[in-house]
Amino acid sequence: MKPKKGMVKVTSLYERVVHWVLAISCLLLCYTGLGMMFESLNFLGIIIGGLKGLKIVHNFTAIIFTVSLILAIKMWWREAGIFVFPEDIDWVLAAGGYLWHVDKVPETGKYNPGQKAFFLVVALFGAMMVVTGFFMWLQPGFLPMEALRWMYPLHVFGFVVIFAFFFIHLYLGTIGNPGSVQAMISGYMEKPVLKMLHPKWLKEMEHEGTLVVYKGEDKKKA
Amino acid sequence: MTQIIKLYDDSKCTACRGCQLACKQWNDLKAGQTEQQGTYQNPPTLQANTYMIIHFQDYATSEGNVKWLFRKEACMHCTEAACVTVCPSGALYYNKELGTVGLDREKCIGCKECVAACPFEVPKYDSKTSKVYKCDMCESRISNKLEPACVKACPTGALKWGEKDKMLELAQKRVGQLGGNAAIYGDQYVGGTHFMYVLKEGKDVYADIHKNPKVPLSVILWKKWLKPLSLLGAGGVIGGSLLHYILHGPKRPDQDAGNDVKTEGRE
Repeated sequence: MKPKKGMVKVTSLYERVVHWVLAISCLLLCYTGLGMMFESLNFLGIIIGGLKGLKIVHNFTAIIFTVSLILAIKMWWREAGIFVFPEDIDWVLAAGGYLWHVDKVPETGKYNPGQKAFFLVVALFGAMMVVTGFFMWLQPGFLPMEALRWMYPLHVFGFVVIFAFFFIHLYLGTIGNPGSVQAMISGYMEKPVLKMLHPKWLKEMEHEGTLVVYKGEDKKKA
Repeated sequence: MTQIIKLYDDSKCTACRGCQLACKQWNDLKAGQTEQQGTYQNPPTLQANTYMIIHFQDYATSEGNVKWLFRKEACMHCTEAACVTVCPSGALYYNKELGTVGLDREKCIGCKECVAACPFEVPKYDSKTSKVYKCDMCESRISNKLEPACVKACPTGALKWGEKDKMLELAQKRVGQLGGNAAIYGDQYVGGTHFMYVLKEGKDVYADIHKNPKVPLSVILWKKWLKPLSLLGAGGVIGGSLLHYILHGPKRPDQDAGNDVKTEGRE
């Protein structure tokens, strides 16, 4: 999808690449993990050589996930990892206008507290998945048996939490907020959508003169 | 199902290790090169190519004499086997006829979940073949009405193979004869094991024995609680999002003003 004239640049190519590598590796891990966890889902492995294939793909995708998780945390923690008081509290108290009618949703910056919570869950639980996962992969020998045993329920718990947040992220990033998915495809967003979702950030960019507006392709647009 | 168990009586064991050798022969297992570690116990632990070992232990009796204590270590073939519970591929299974725990290595994907789950720390992983190994009670023999190779080889009668009731009766009788701290080991754990001991001393005296083996709490939490919860959680958010879309609707910029931010609720 190409941006339209007048749309505002919100993400860099690097951000989008890291986002999608993380997202696709995460989904692949969910897919292969579920295929191994539930006997009724074993058929998911048929296309990659059965359970053994699921295990191999799961283990090596974990490496890609780990690298992209580190890059994502490095890139986003300053903007999305720190809550700002008291404005974030106001937004949470209004549930961002997502659950009941709110006349004026408290204005948030580049990332609202919901997005920050999602980032923190992915960062923390993702790190937990990496740590528990690698102990499970490389065992035995690195941990005493009693500790090693707890890596497994922690790994499943991490899945429960990450999957729940992932799906809400998917919903709110697509059909729940029409127009926002463009931010991760072309990197541009319609100004009214941006104004609704991240008003403070838009004002900041306008104020600082860092706003990049798509002017369209010279040939087509006059 | 007639449950058949293997009974080991350490008071009759001379640690000749005929059983250990018979096990290697029947299962076609290579010997590993080991180093002298100041004990006859060799190899020091169970290995991917050693399904059973005889433990050699010096211990001082209450009279101050130093004596040998022997113990055969192998898969205990639990009735409630944590390894079978966690195995994702069905490689580990209960023998439907006899209740022992078999291992179909063709199906094993080498995930090592059983290694961490077994309360007796029996299954061993071989990184060369990327598979797990353990005693399967000589399934190829017992399903053909033969006793396991170790029992067959035992010259002293320390190892016996028979119906559970009869074996327990025999064990009880032997415990009575031995007196003192002698006791049966295995019947009170994990739903009863299919490999039991008559120990001439209290179990606390034995080195490296598992004092109170049970299915680990982590396994119960993982398989009985978190597994269903993960489905519930996934279903919950998918259903919840759908419901939100229908009841509350997506968030769109206010069409009229273009400035004011409003949610487009559909009450």
